[in-house]
Amino acid sequence: MLLNVENLSLSLKKDGSYLKILDDVSFQVEKGETLGIVGESGCGKSMTALSIMRLLPDKAKLEGKVNLEKKEITALSKKQLEKIRGNQISMIFQDPLTSLNPLHSVGKQIGEALYLHTELSKIERKQRVVHLLKEVGLPRADEIVNEYPHQLSGGMRQRVMIAIAMACNPRLLICDEPTTALDVTVQAQILDLMNKLKQMNDMGIIMITHDLGVVAEVCDRVIVMYAGKVVEQGMAEELFANPKHPYTIGLMQSIPKLGERKNQLGSIPGTVPSPKNMPLGCRFADRCNKAMDICRGKQPSTVEVGPNHTAACWLYEEKGVGRYDASRGERSEATFHH
Amino acid sequence: MDAIQYISKRLLLMIPILFGISVLTFFISHTIPGDPARLILGPKADPVIIKELQEKMGLNDPVYVQYGRYVSGILQGDLGNSTYTQQAVVNDLKRYFPATLELTLFSMIITVLVGIPFGIISANKKDKIPDQITRFAALIGVAMPAFWLGIILLLFFYLQLGVLPGAGRLDTWVSPPAHITGMYTIDALLTGNWPVFQSAFIHLILPGITQAAVTIGMITRMTRSSMLEVLRSDYVRTAYAKGGSQNRVLYGHALQNGMMPILTLIGMTFGHSLGGSVLVESVFSWPGLGKYAVNAITYLDFPAVMGVTLLIAVLFIFVNLIIDIFYQVIDPRLKYE
Ligand SMILES: Nc1ncnc2c1ncn2[C@@H]1O[C@H](COP(=O)(O)OP(=O)(O)OP(=O)(O)O)[C@@H](O)[C@H]1O
Ligand SMILES: [Mg+2]
Repeated sequence: MLLNVENLSLSLKKDGSYLKILDDVSFQVEKGETLGIVGESGCGKSMTALSIMRLLPDKAKLEGKVNLEKKEITALSKKQLEKIRGNQISMIFQDPLTSLNPLHSVGKQIGEALYLHTELSKIERKQRVVHLLKEVGLPRADEIVNEYPHQLSGGMRQRVMIAIAMACNPRLLICDEPTTALDVTVQAQILDLMNKLKQMNDMGIIMITHDLGVVAEVCDRVIVMYAGKVVEQGMAEELFANPKHPYTIGLMQSIPKLGERKNQLGSIPGTVPSPKNMPLGCRFADRCNKAMDICRGKQPSTVEVGPNHTAACWLYEEKGVGRYDASRGERSEATFHH
Repeated sequence: MDAIQYISKRLLLMIPILFGISVLTFFISHTIPGDPARLILGPKADPVIIKELQEKMGLNDPVYVQYGRYVSGILQGDLGNSTYTQQAVVNDLKRYFPATLELTLFSMIITVLVGIPFGIISANKKDKIPDQITRFAALIGVAMPAFWLGIILLLFFYLQLGVLPGAGRLDTWVSPPAHITGMYTIDALLTGNWPVFQSAFIHLILPGITQAAVTIGMITRMTRSSMLEVLRSDYVRTAYAKGGSQNRVLYGHALQNGMMPILTLIGMTFGHSLGGSVLVESVFSWPGLGKYAVNAITYLDFPAVMGVTLLIAVLFIFVNLIIDIFYQVIDPRLKYE
């Protein structure tokens, strides 16, 4: 196992009080696997990624464990984290227009990762930078080294970002909506490139997106998040063929069909509850067309709904009682009361 | 456009500006009531002699003739004679300006070395104790009158402790170094004269700190707000994601991006202090441009007033040019537009 995220919870301070942004998030990433994280805006995808990188805002309270191979990231010091970031875990961000330093040349920005994590000499670094630029499919690599971000198009800048991320052959690459800001043809090229690089380097990828098309194209496995919780998790094909959680089903139905113009996720009525007043029971209950009384009263636990396929929904609870997860002490007690 | 072309274009653009300034100062100083000839000769002078002197000084010529004379003089490096010191204004400026330039450079170095790091720390530790302390100190620096701080420093370090000198540019028993730049510390270094350097340097400390106090406050606040903006940006997050340490990100990425407004402010305050700070120069008996300018105004010394104004204007334009060139060097997006 490459990455193991166990019972991750995150609280952030906003206007003087702590809000729970992530609640008990667990998942794994294997070597050579692409894990997709999908969900509506604000459900905590970026915060999950930043928690793994430990790049959270100042007053963040993080609970749970994140392990990269044998290393417990959640227990590392600042200095140790600096050695891991950009080296064993890299991250690509959504907006390539603002993610590069406008005042540094492309070569300098890629070279910095090499400078920080390798013993290469200045000349070797320069050679490696040119090599990386070619690897991410940029033409005129020798010239682009000396150019500045404002001289490049959005797609080219995202390739530069990928080159930075790939500079030190990371074990895990986290991509936070890497193609959202790009147009469709460039999007497809970038996704192809990432697939190619993954196979070459045998690394794991976490692909954050709210575009199910992207998921279908590149992901092996998917987790669906809703309001800071994982609601469903399974192999991509299984999940597409056989979605279980009403939220996932809603997501699938909201994919615009050919010739149809629709807002993404537009077909699920209602809005995500805010972290300030999270409902007591299932967080999706207010928008769910299959909601039952119990849904509003108590949180469902995570149960197996198929091979390698879990969901947190009361609809499947009876079948899953036997597999009840004892580590959820507080909630299991509440369940056993009735 | 390359760098040399850019600079020559900027220098050419200075000509109409300078023309405008010379016209402006000339006419302003000529509309001020008061007769320089009468002033030189004193209140009891014979009216005939006054008339003669007015004639000799050309004060009765039409204004445009006087201006033409003035400009042709400037072009020959002649700013006229000071009616008060009886010296060529150019020589007076050569004497007083280096003292001001030396003091200004020294206080600007202190300002940059203290103000920018404090602003960065303040921004990075927003709303925490280091930020609160820095903001409070900066507020005091900005709000405190310079002459008052000067007097307090004098009382303490000169009168009370006796560790630093209180007046002038050199100890009385030290003679000035050979005139190269007119800045004693630099001339002493250039001629390898260590004792003179020491004496000149310790004389700079108190007036330098006094003058820097206000500008440190301003630069700190500007740096803080500029850095707060930059620290929120995506490329700062990228720099951390690459594995950069906090110092590397702050000084290697963020500062450069936040530098523009800071540079502008440095340019403004630098140009401003070059005009001489009358109060600081008075408190520390510093023989600089500020004191010279006040004397010139007090005694209606037209040539001196115009000379000082012209010099300050030229310096302001030069400082701005240098700041603009800095912009170009820092920001590849601007490349000599
Ligand atoms: N600095 C912060 N302080 C407090 N709360 C924050 C902060 N940043 C984000 N949040 C909150 O955290 C929650 C999750 O945000 P996150 O950015 O992870 O969402 P996301 O799933 O990535 O959404 P999107 O698809 O829009 O990128 C949101 O409710 C947001 O309001
Ligand atoms: Mg996000």
